[in-house]
Amino acid sequence: MTPLTNRSGTATCAWAPAHLLVEDITVSYGHRPALQEVTFCVPVGTRVAVIGPNGAGKSTLFKALVGLLPLDKGSVMIHGLPLGHHRDCVAYLPQREELDWRFPVTVADVVMMGRYGRLGWFRRPGRLDRAAVAESLERMGISDLASKPIGDLSGGQQQRVFLARALVQEPHILLMDEPFTGVDVSTQEATLELFDTLREQQVTVLISTHDLKLSATRFDQVLLLNRRLISFGPAREALTSQTLAEAFGGQVLFIDGAVVVDRAAHVRKPYAE
Amino acid sequence: MDWLFEPFTFGFMQRGLVASLMVGILCAVIGCYVVLRSMAFLGDALAHAILPGVAVAYLLKGSLFVGALAAALLVALSIGLLSRQGSIKEDTAIGILFAAALSLGIALISTAKTYAMDLTHILFGNVLGVSSGDLWLTAGVGLLVLAAIVLFYKEFLVISFDPVLAATLRLPAELLRTLMLVLIALTIVVSLQTVGVGLVTAMLVTPAATASLLTRRLLSMMAISAAVGGLSAVIGLFLSYHVNIASGAAVVMTATCFFILAYLMAPRRGIFWRLLRRRSTVD
Repeated sequence: MTPLTNRSGTATCAWAPAHLLVEDITVSYGHRPALQEVTFCVPVGTRVAVIGPNGAGKSTLFKALVGLLPLDKGSVMIHGLPLGHHRDCVAYLPQREELDWRFPVTVADVVMMGRYGRLGWFRRPGRLDRAAVAESLERMGISDLASKPIGDLSGGQQQRVFLARALVQEPHILLMDEPFTGVDVSTQEATLELFDTLREQQVTVLISTHDLKLSATRFDQVLLLNRRLISFGPAREALTSQTLAEAFGGQVLFIDGAVVVDRAAHVRKPYAE
Repeated sequence: MDWLFEPFTFGFMQRGLVASLMVGILCAVIGCYVVLRSMAFLGDALAHAILPGVAVAYLLKGSLFVGALAAALLVALSIGLLSRQGSIKEDTAIGILFAAALSLGIALISTAKTYAMDLTHILFGNVLGVSSGDLWLTAGVGLLVLAAIVLFYKEFLVISFDPVLAATLRLPAELLRTLMLVLIALTIVVSLQTVGVGLVTAMLVTPAATASLLTRRLLSMMAISAAVGGLSAVIGLFLSYHVNIASGAAVVMTATCFFILAYLMAPRRGIFWRLLRRRSTVD
């Protein structure tokens, strides 16, 4: 446990203003709780890596944060207001298998969807929207793909498209589920560089990953999750042999001070989550 | 050229042509969403569910349109309700309601004396019996549906492609989904006279599926689909006059021919080109 949370389930933020405050949330599928009494607080512009084994509730947490799953109890506050009061505040990049890639839309179409919230009902995208889309494509280095169908792209290119879409949304909080799974190294680096830029713009970034090394080196805070919150804080404090053992159980090995998480054990249960 | 224009010297053929053309285009446009959202079975169920409504209206000598519309809306909404409870899967809910409504409709119609003839007309359409009142009704409803598709283009695109984005944009997804069902129901109801309950699903699905093989953008998919739907309607009606076959069946078979052609010959993805490429790589 970090100083940010205490056992009574109330959270206090050391930094003000608190942009994302998750207080004592429980989320379940049917009768099976996927997340239990999770409490944490993310200050403005922090990059957080959410780590945990499959079935730990990482995707569930993200879906709860955007209001896709109902909370059994607890609350999610953004800028001091509960979910549902903000239209454009949170951008969420879904996992790749959640989308139909044969859908007849081009790269530019998909990125333009990021402007829809701003446009509101019955208004068509105008010159400013197209300029924002072009700029965002440029920034992600995919301008030449603008008129390609999304189904024709590689995994890394698809991820850049969705990052471009998140950029035109101009969110305060960016959530990404497994952004480093199945993408090439250059896309991974482009993604991480984007996070650095977003940090300067005070955008809070939460991602889920299996990659302990990346989490420890490229993120400000690490959130270790296994149904319950196990630890939250800077990697050096949050990732200890004790917390890792608690999160990963038998999948984690300690060899001469090095930590090895058995990836095979992760991959074996792809439907657990 | 007489051969080409002769059928359309008759008033009933002219009305039939206009009706088929409108229905062909309308079905083809909204059919794009039916195909993209995998709602083909739902569309079929809606069409069959119309039968009891039509039967009741027919027996009471009321407006067939109103009867059909009421039944279609009732079924569209109850499918949503039944499956939202979560105890029954959506396709099971559709299967139950669809068969129940169909049998209720047949039972009701079988009490009428001219049972076989009437049932045939409802099941397979009777495009040559279209009155000018029917034409105005079809045009009105068609414009309404197309206007809704234009007005809600962004929203329908998002709920179909990325429901998660729809949720983060706080779009009323459930309401939009119901609106889409209502638009499909309206389309089916005005298609009744032209292609009938049994074949309307084909008009919703076949032109859109053909278009999906030929393009990768939603707008051009809708345009191509409308062209295929409209052409099928005209060619089908023409064939039905000269070969003397049921018009609804002729229209659907024409659309199916377009689909097969696209499936074989579509640029890059067609079977024909794939075989050709394989041949050339072997050589």
